[in-house]
Amino acid sequence: MISVEEFREQARAWLADNMEPRVDTGLRIRGAGHKTVESITESRVLQRRLFDGGFAGITWPTEYGGQALTGAHQQAFEVEAARYAMPDFGVAGGTTFGVCGPVMLAHASPEFLARHIPRILAGDELWCQFFSEPGAGSDLAGVTTRAVRDGDRWVINGAKIWSSGAYYSDYGMCLARTDWDVPKHRGLTWFAVPTDAPGVTVRPIREINGDIEFCEEFFDDVLLDDGERIGEVNQGWSIAQAMLVYERGASNEHRPVPPGPGALASDFVELARAQGRERDPVVRQLIARAHTDDYVMVQLQARVMQHLRLGTGHGAGTASFAKLGTGTTLARRARIGMEIGRGPALVWDPADDEGRRTALNYLNGRVMAIAGGTNEVQRNGIGERVLGLPREPSFDTDRPFNEVLGNAANWTGKP
Amino acid sequence: MSAVDLAITDDQEMLRAATAGFVQSACPLTRIRELGETGADVGADYVRSGAELGWFAMLVPEEQGGGSVSGHGVLDAVILAEERGRLLQPGAFVATNVVADALARLVAGPEQEEALTSIVAGAARVAWVLADRAGDWGAPGVRAVGKGDQVVLDGTSTLVQDADVADWLLVTANGEGITQVLVRADAPGVTVTPKTGLDITRRFADVTFDGVTVPGSGVVGGIGEGGDDVERQFDVAAVLTVAESVGAMDAIFTDTVEYAKVRTAFGRPIGSFQAVKHLLADTALVLEQSKAIATAAARALQEGRDDAGEVASMAKAFVGEGGIELAQNCWQAFGGIAYTWEHDLHLYLRRLTADAALYGEPAWHRERICRIHGL
Repeated sequence: MISVEEFREQARAWLADNMEPRVDTGLRIRGAGHKTVESITESRVLQRRLFDGGFAGITWPTEYGGQALTGAHQQAFEVEAARYAMPDFGVAGGTTFGVCGPVMLAHASPEFLARHIPRILAGDELWCQFFSEPGAGSDLAGVTTRAVRDGDRWVINGAKIWSSGAYYSDYGMCLARTDWDVPKHRGLTWFAVPTDAPGVTVRPIREINGDIEFCEEFFDDVLLDDGERIGEVNQGWSIAQAMLVYERGASNEHRPVPPGPGALASDFVELARAQGRERDPVVRQLIARAHTDDYVMVQLQARVMQHLRLGTGHGAGTASFAKLGTGTTLARRARIGMEIGRGPALVWDPADDEGRRTALNYLNGRVMAIAGGTNEVQRNGIGERVLGLPREPSFDTDRPFNEVLGNAANWTGKP
Repeated sequence: MSAVDLAITDDQEMLRAATAGFVQSACPLTRIRELGETGADVGADYVRSGAELGWFAMLVPEEQGGGSVSGHGVLDAVILAEERGRLLQPGAFVATNVVADALARLVAGPEQEEALTSIVAGAARVAWVLADRAGDWGAPGVRAVGKGDQVVLDGTSTLVQDADVADWLLVTANGEGITQVLVRADAPGVTVTPKTGLDITRRFADVTFDGVTVPGSGVVGGIGEGGDDVERQFDVAAVLTVAESVGAMDAIFTDTVEYAKVRTAFGRPIGSFQAVKHLLADTALVLEQSKAIATAAARALQEGRDDAGEVASMAKAFVGEGGIELAQNCWQAFGGIAYTWEHDLHLYLRRLTADAALYGEPAWHRERICRIHGL
């Protein structure tokens, strides 16, 4: 295997010859800039270039177009690539390369992988998540999108929601119910659903920050080949649990920890200075509190990573600390921003792009408290898996799912 | 295994285990209660035994009578602090280490050398005099006026731990800059007034100086030049106090989780109810965050990084508030029984509340963070 240093040198030379320098434009905050289909197309071209150059799928298997190298090689490449304009697929980049890809590689058939992985690496296939539904978010095992077998095909009917980037993705990794007569988590199966298949309607949803990023989808008698199933029939839940861990970022081993706290909450200091309030003791307390919380969040991530590396934690339960930490800290930080900001945070010149930063962060403030597993779900995980507290009685894990739906609608408080 | 730092060496584990064993046998919670109820000092033998376990040696170089176990004295001292905090140990461990560290760096003259040696050996006890009458740590309560090469001290300081049994006092005084002096506690003009207080696991006193004359040999560092030294002393105090706090937090939280598993109500363990489960999960997060920032502060100080002071203050502010929140949440989970003297919760509540205030309360440390950044 090529050494990390030699790989780094090769990457450095290739990038200089083949890629353009990066140009930073505008705020890098959720909702600040809409991901257009045109920009995605441009990124596909860049991804193709990476693939042809031998720098796509650095840690993925060679039989499907990857390089079969290590995380250290990946990190070395990312460091070299940082000053170049690299493919930017928005959230769907994360779902394609960080979630769906790894899950497929672990659970899909070789034929499936041969069809899809090379196309993913070449930028021809972007994958979004068809997980949550209007009727099932936190209770992911409670999905009701139906997949019915018809010979060697499946017929899909139902709806999905919160699919980030679906409007420019090529496929959705879809969790569907294939058995209604068993407990909910025993009747689930995964499918690869093309976003342009007949019967699939993708409708973008406008977020409170004004942008359009995630979508809802409707499936009306969508036909799929059995070859597009991922994993065994009715075995989808174990795959789902592994996928949730990927989503939570627990598998991200090489995010570098900044050595020190860095500059003092620069966005808040600017707000304070704009009002001439940097000497105000109340404002100073808020600035320092936010700055401290930011660094505690960073150090907590590092500690969770260390637990996972040393095996001293409780696996997915320990990862919940990082998610709950982010989910509580960022919401609080957003509120501190509005409190410090006052006038300049509430109103700004329409031409001032920076001016909307605090308000945008505020509107995004609870995203991490809800997406990717709510704070409440994380608390259950910590309570039960880390602290070992006993579970509550459940009314849906031992009953046929058909029965559960009826009981929920007619809840009397008695089991 | 250390709760604060996940990766301690075998030598550090032995250090930890030795102190853990000692505090459990020499001063378990029953003894803490006795001392608290009578106001008695834990005694010179305890201090000497602690010294033999290395309690005051970790921040002092070997050539000056000290010596760490791992070569990383701050990290070793933090491990000791955590075990002491776990069982709410008495004695001025933090202040003694602050003074030993300061003397080792600034020592001038045979008298100071001898004081350092006997402090590290636990043969002499020392207190750090700093806060003013109102408990403000940023404004020394004592003024120092130079008279030739002597220094005259006047004023009152509060929250001086174990001042009535101290042999030496390191006094941080104000007067055209900061001047620090090492003075005998029984010097003419020094009056020690023991106080009673919320934290019955420790003993504090006011110390008043009335024209106390200190010879030049007692000045630690330069006259009027102690500013940077005191910043370092705050960093050491913050890192060690936070470590003690985290040990205490871990201990009482473990007890609380255990209680939630065995105490039943409405037909099942109270920990199975989501309200209790979520309260404990949020508390577990505070504890994990506290461990994370405490470790970061210890390492920054150990490595002598430029941001060590800032991270120490972050840790002190965060763990100060976190400790109180944790104690209050544990209290809520225990319910009525934790409102009794007989239950141990109040001992931890008292200790963690005092820890938050000592050596700068959270707001003071947040202001320090702003100052460090030049805001």
